[in-house]
Amino acid sequence: MSQQKSSATFQIQHTQFLNPSGEAIAGPLPSWAKDGEVLIPLYRNMVQTRTFDAKAINLQRTGKLGTYASPLGQEAIGVGVASAMIDEDVMLPTYREYSAQLWRGVTMTELLLYWGGDERGSDFAVPRQDFPMCVPIATHTSHAVGVAYAMKLRKQKRIAVCFLGDGATSKGDFYESINAAGVWQLPILFVVANNQWAISVPRSRQTAAQTLAQKGIAAGIKCEQVDGNDIIAVRHVAQQAINDARGGGGPHLIEALTYRLSDHTTADDASRYRDKQEVEAQWQYDPVPRLRNYLIGLEAWSDEQEQSLLAECSASVDAAVREYSDTAAVAPQAMFDHLYEELPDVMAWQRQLAAASGGADE
Amino acid sequence: MKTFLLPDLGEGLTEAEIVEWHVKVGDEIKTDAPLVSVETDKAIVEVPSPRSGRIAKLHAQVGDVVETGRPLMQFADGVDERADTGTVVGEVKAGEEKVEEKAVSTAKAGSATAGVKATPAVRALARRMNVDLSFVKPSGPDGLVTAADVERVAKRFAELGPPEPLRGARRAMAHHMTQAHSEVVPATVVADADIHQWMEDGADITVRLVHAIVAGCTQEPALNTWFDGHALARRVLQKIDVGIAVDTKDGLFVPVLRDVANRSNNDLREGLDRLRADVKARRVPPEELRGSTITLSNFGMIAGRYAAPVVVPPAVAILGAGQIRDEVVAVDGAPTVHRILPLSLTFDHRAVTGGEAARFLAAVINSLESAVAE
Amino acid sequence: MSWPGNGSSQPPRVVRMSEITLVEAINMALAYEMQADDNVIVLGEDVGINGGVFRATAGLLQRFGEERVIDTPLAEALISGMAIGMAAQGLRPVAEIQFMGFIYPTLDQLVSHASRLRNRTRGRLTCPMVLRAPFGGGIRAPEHHSESTEAMFAHIPGLRVVIPSSPTRAYGLILAAIRNSDPVVFLEPKRIYRLIKQEVTDNGEALPLDVCFVLRPGTDITLVSWGAMIHETVKAADTLDEQGVSAEVIDVATLKPLEMGTILESVQRTGRCVIVHEAALSGGWGAEIAAQLSEHALLHLLAPVQRVTGYDTVMPFLKLEGYYMPSVERIVNTVHTALKFS
Repeated sequence: MSQQKSSATFQIQHTQFLNPSGEAIAGPLPSWAKDGEVLIPLYRNMVQTRTFDAKAINLQRTGKLGTYASPLGQEAIGVGVASAMIDEDVMLPTYREYSAQLWRGVTMTELLLYWGGDERGSDFAVPRQDFPMCVPIATHTSHAVGVAYAMKLRKQKRIAVCFLGDGATSKGDFYESINAAGVWQLPILFVVANNQWAISVPRSRQTAAQTLAQKGIAAGIKCEQVDGNDIIAVRHVAQQAINDARGGGGPHLIEALTYRLSDHTTADDASRYRDKQEVEAQWQYDPVPRLRNYLIGLEAWSDEQEQSLLAECSASVDAAVREYSDTAAVAPQAMFDHLYEELPDVMAWQRQLAAASGGADE
Repeated sequence: MKTFLLPDLGEGLTEAEIVEWHVKVGDEIKTDAPLVSVETDKAIVEVPSPRSGRIAKLHAQVGDVVETGRPLMQFADGVDERADTGTVVGEVKAGEEKVEEKAVSTAKAGSATAGVKATPAVRALARRMNVDLSFVKPSGPDGLVTAADVERVAKRFAELGPPEPLRGARRAMAHHMTQAHSEVVPATVVADADIHQWMEDGADITVRLVHAIVAGCTQEPALNTWFDGHALARRVLQKIDVGIAVDTKDGLFVPVLRDVANRSNNDLREGLDRLRADVKARRVPPEELRGSTITLSNFGMIAGRYAAPVVVPPAVAILGAGQIRDEVVAVDGAPTVHRILPLSLTFDHRAVTGGEAARFLAAVINSLESAVAE
Repeated sequence: MSWPGNGSSQPPRVVRMSEITLVEAINMALAYEMQADDNVIVLGEDVGINGGVFRATAGLLQRFGEERVIDTPLAEALISGMAIGMAAQGLRPVAEIQFMGFIYPTLDQLVSHASRLRNRTRGRLTCPMVLRAPFGGGIRAPEHHSESTEAMFAHIPGLRVVIPSSPTRAYGLILAAIRNSDPVVFLEPKRIYRLIKQEVTDNGEALPLDVCFVLRPGTDITLVSWGAMIHETVKAADTLDEQGVSAEVIDVATLKPLEMGTILESVQRTGRCVIVHEAALSGGWGAEIAAQLSEHALLHLLAPVQRVTGYDTVMPFLKLEGYYMPSVERIVNTVHTALKFS
């Protein structure tokens, strides 16, 4: 008789503190979860992000912005993780982490410039080393590996945080990256924002694995799940993972469960492949009212504050839109600037041609 | 649906006025139940509800005029269908342009490479040396003009000066004669006409020759014909339009004397004089140089006895008149001196037989030997 | 204690001159630069303890340690992607892809990211990385190991493509590639990795990028080539010399960005040009050079520009490999065709 034993078992932990109505259902809550000073900035960020989002969609529909990807419903993941980072860390987003980017200092104007089709939108004033949005799915996961490798090599107390979606976990790049992160025990956090949809492909068709988090098991790295719409849970697990990675504990993978309440992009119409009832049902898990209700429960938030915040967000979004609209387009020869460190002489004639087409005499 | 738009009421109607709402905001309605009455040009129409649901908003009041396709009212729930963008990024514009393409035949339309074969370097050299490449005989493989060829021609030009390109009438003559030579099968028969009966010194015999041609064509219409060598078809023509060869310092011109058979002598005389004057003054319009049915060449006014002049298609005959001479002839067994006019007839043997030509010539001679032109 | 220069932690080396092969020259240059600049990192499959399957990285692990000479998992997309991340953080990664036949998973990273990181962030982030790969046929290897698809990379805006053809140029050009602030695809002609030797001075002097090298002056015809084919092209020039034909030989070296000035000046003198490359004919980089010659040297041409290349077929296995690769004879015959033209 052959000897049967278990070579490996695994368990995936799921963390949640607040129920959909914003009541604490598990404890003990982290100490900062009672502190309005910590929570209110998170809430303000989410409301700001949502206000910005509505305006961006409106701009696209009225022809003032190109195709735009909305993070509606996912706001808690970005800011929950970003608020656990330090300035010197490096973030590598996909294209739905505006709450994280705004938290870290990217401006709404820069976001509008990017979707408006102007490369200057990725020349962040701050933070200077964060990566721009990544459109080809999962290809930035290996960039994160390289960034984290550099940090470890130089013995810096910095980490790389790489966001990706559920679809990205099917990509070869993802496997190669988490695998390498594990081999070298890099200071890196992969955050899988599982919003259940990769354009029209539902999560159930993306993989046979029970969770996306457990893909980290295959790479030998620490992995867990969290309720992505419970900002206290997100912030908590992110903080623990980041502290551990920063302290030399190796890479982490967090699967944050959420739902994409919007279309994939403004050119997509999700009603073609998604049941309206399903979407409607998901609104009850909306992270924004969840936190608001919790804050109200803490007596840390009032209606007046809410109205005041909404007005403030509206005003700042309008200011960003004005700044975006007032930004003059660059001249066509700008295509040649920043192609290489210095444009080779052999290309000068092309640059002149482009300049002439824009009416310049350069 | 959420927003109900005023439907097409048919019969080309584009708008309607709200007469009466059958619901108010907050009401529940069932599918097909009457929603609103509207008045069109034709009648009052009742619009049924397209679905069941709760009324959330009425977009028009009684008395308002609503255009077809504009919002009428809104249900409390539901979603308005968006047009399918057919993409997930950017804009893929839809257009109405219908493309029609004809089958293109790329079968070699003329495989002969037009023009001179020379590399760009050789062309540039020719330009610099001021050599027209069409003057250069190529010595390179496959008809390629080489640099050496260009240099050779440039040297010759330097020694001899450039050749004079043919222009105007000389150029036309070169073209026509080349074409005639390549197509026509010429045959020539010569004879003499004894014109002592009417010939006076200095008389212009051209009118008599024209009469003689009329006589010849009457006898043998086959020589007043246009012949198509490609189709192998001919047109025997009724009207006789004689091309009169006129020699000038600018070259050969052949203006046409029209319908000679039906004109009086004086008319012919005047016509000839006018033609000659016009040619001299270079004011003959191009159409008067075209369309002759038979040609007369009176080269004898200069010199020469017999000739084999060139038949230019589509005509099939040309009569040449040589220099009039005094000759000793036999009359009733005794020698005497008569004025003799040599004649040459060249004909296109594709279209005219020897017999026809000979009979034509006999009639010409007969006409010329008569005391008075007939 | 730090030494003047790049803040390196090692003392300056004694400059040596040695008669070495092309692959040894690469190794020497890598060692030089890794000592001079702590930011230089070597990564790839089997580059560490094995010193690379062609020994291009031999000895580096022992000298510089496993943090700077990384034996990566088997993952080409990762190798190229992490090089981008490292470069964005200011390291100077020199990533090796074991054979050009395995380079294609890196195309995504090169095209989607490396080539455009500077552009799309307006210079905020840059990508000073080198991706090295042995390429080309003629070593009787199993399939996939004899590729020459350099034209694919040379087509991409924002990349550089550099190909050495001798030990001295390998040494000088890879130093230049590492020191360059933009991504460089450095393709090493493995057939001549060890075929030829040359005196190379280990003085850390880089050769210029973005220029062609005139290897041999001539008056009757211009021969343009790169990589291992330079070897055949020079042999053809020798043969032609015996036949009384004076051929000028130009090594393109940097395919992208292509510097045409040297080639144009030469063709304007000779009036004839033959381009030699191993890669398949259609859309090969020779086509770009020929197009530019027709654009800028038309009036000087005495014959059409010819190309001597591989066929438009899949690279054959070793049995037919010799028929595929351009030979000295094919080059010489093509030269004579050009000379006879006019």
